[in-house]
Amino acid sequence: MRFPKLGRVSLYVLLVFLVFVFLLPLWTMITTSFKTVQDVIYTIPLEPPLSPTIEPLISSLNIMERPLLNSLTFTVAATILSCLLGSVNGYILTKIRFRGSDMIFLLFSIGIFIPYQSVLVPLVLTMSRLGLYNSIGGLILTHTAYGVPITTLLFRNFYGLIPDSLIMAAKTDGAGTWTIYRLVVLPLSLLPFVVAAVFQFTSIWNDFLFGVTLARGSEAMPASVALANLKGTTEVNWNVQMAGTLWYAVPVLIIYVVLGKYLIRGYMTGAIKG
Amino acid sequence: MVSITIKNLTKTYGNTIAVKDVNLQIKDKEFFVFLGPSGCGKTTTLLAIAGLVEVDAGEIWIGDELVTSAEQGIHKPPQERGIAMVFQDYAIYPHMSVFDNIAFPLKIRGVNRNEIDESVKKTAELLGISQLLNRKPRQLSGGQRQRVALGRAIVRRPKVFLMDEPLANLDAKLRVQTRTELKKLQRELEVTTVYVTHDQVEAMTMADKIMVLRDGFIEQIGTPDELYNHPSNTFVAGFIGSPEMNFIDCTLVEEGERLSLDAKEFKISLTDKTFPELRSYIGAEVIMGIRPEDVYESRSARGTTQDNTVKMTLDLIEPVGPFLLLHLRAGRIPFVATVKQTRAKVGQEVIMELDLSKIHVFDKKTNKAII
Repeated sequence: MRFPKLGRVSLYVLLVFLVFVFLLPLWTMITTSFKTVQDVIYTIPLEPPLSPTIEPLISSLNIMERPLLNSLTFTVAATILSCLLGSVNGYILTKIRFRGSDMIFLLFSIGIFIPYQSVLVPLVLTMSRLGLYNSIGGLILTHTAYGVPITTLLFRNFYGLIPDSLIMAAKTDGAGTWTIYRLVVLPLSLLPFVVAAVFQFTSIWNDFLFGVTLARGSEAMPASVALANLKGTTEVNWNVQMAGTLWYAVPVLIIYVVLGKYLIRGYMTGAIKG
Repeated sequence: MVSITIKNLTKTYGNTIAVKDVNLQIKDKEFFVFLGPSGCGKTTTLLAIAGLVEVDAGEIWIGDELVTSAEQGIHKPPQERGIAMVFQDYAIYPHMSVFDNIAFPLKIRGVNRNEIDESVKKTAELLGISQLLNRKPRQLSGGQRQRVALGRAIVRRPKVFLMDEPLANLDAKLRVQTRTELKKLQRELEVTTVYVTHDQVEAMTMADKIMVLRDGFIEQIGTPDELYNHPSNTFVAGFIGSPEMNFIDCTLVEEGERLSLDAKEFKISLTDKTFPELRSYIGAEVIMGIRPEDVYESRSARGTTQDNTVKMTLDLIEPVGPFLLLHLRAGRIPFVATVKQTRAKVGQEVIMELDLSKIHVFDKKTNKAII
């Protein structure tokens, strides 16, 4: 009986150690955010500030406010749009089906694997033709288009678990394709919506490449780009930089804390049927 | 008057034939059962009537309305066919209350609220689920869910009920009970009903008429009595009735005036009756079929010389309750017999009598019934 107990103890020791390691950057970010410039120089990052101040938080927010709002706008919009479109696609591809629907799904799947870098040039050209270069609208469109393949895959897998008989029943009850979607499929889609939304929100929020390509130095600049711009060319104010990072991390942290429960359930649905 | 007529119905999925050239006529108010093993095409035929699958060939008439015609390109959507369907997994909407589930078809049709309220309550009362109207499906037992599914079908007063194995997911006791209720309900509502099942007992007990399907082809259409007593081939003979009919390979031989079935291990003489149908099979291989209840212990223990007796060894006795199941052997040929009682012991030799008036003979090549 001693050995398993010892095993258990060492397991917990290891886990606590890993938690500690994983939380170190977060801890460093928080401590540094509250330090003065002197504290940054005279203390190591892990140490708490000698004379705590909220000055870095305020000055970074002054710079980041507009980009944060930009990011929030296009992230929320593109998340909602890509989830809705993915849901409709998933529904059509699993429950309506038509000649060539498998082919279309295959094309969607390929879309998931297209690297961002490979489409930058045509993307910029397209956006400027559309008059959407350097605009929030352009970012919404780009992120929605790039998000749809993965949300389609996600919703398609989930809708595969909804029995076809439910759709047939609604059909015989007199509901048309869209009525079935609205009254039967959509109300059953909370879980995949949460999973897709969290996934989309984080990846769009964290995106740097599209942001820097499509809206660099403009009114529409995303927070990820602004954050990178916080560090000057000759010097870096680490306290301001870290405070900016803190602001930047808040929305994603909130999403995870609020929706974490659903997220785990959502990940499990594929594994355990029903 | 709602009859259903199906003409030359054919449906294939890729290279697999689901149903082929199905022709049938379902009368008004009839309880019609599609019976067959899984994959025989019974559900496909039902879905074709419902308008939930498009067919490759053939016509379907509901009443005097042509609802499906592959040739004329007619495919009426399900909601315009006046049908209601009950599914095996009930397919009730999990996010709606029982009330909303039953009300759903009416709401879709834009019936006004008072009328919906009244119809739903009446239906719930009829099915004895009035106290459940505010519950969600996950709070219901299997039997209750089944009733909700029925309620949703009944509430809109359809011309035709279509049921796809509605009892298959219930436990044995509830299934028998619901079977009776369902049959009564159908009588009461006087709605033409098409019912799909793989359970021959369900089919026999509920149906006015049964269509037996196999691999997409009709094996036989008839009343339960006809299927049981006059199966038109070995498949129907074997599929209907439990325990299964005994099948014995024989050669039909002529001995003087009489015909007899020679199974090598034993020989059965077919009395003095002449069977003109059998004449052309003399010398040919045939299959003799006899149901377990038509095999019984001979009264006269020494009647071995009689034409219809066979000496068998008793291998096993299975008490089923109302009767005993005897597993016997005539040489190497296995027999099953159902008897009320027996004094015979396992391992003993018994003289068994075959009821010649109940004997079936099938053509070995085509498996079709000769008599």
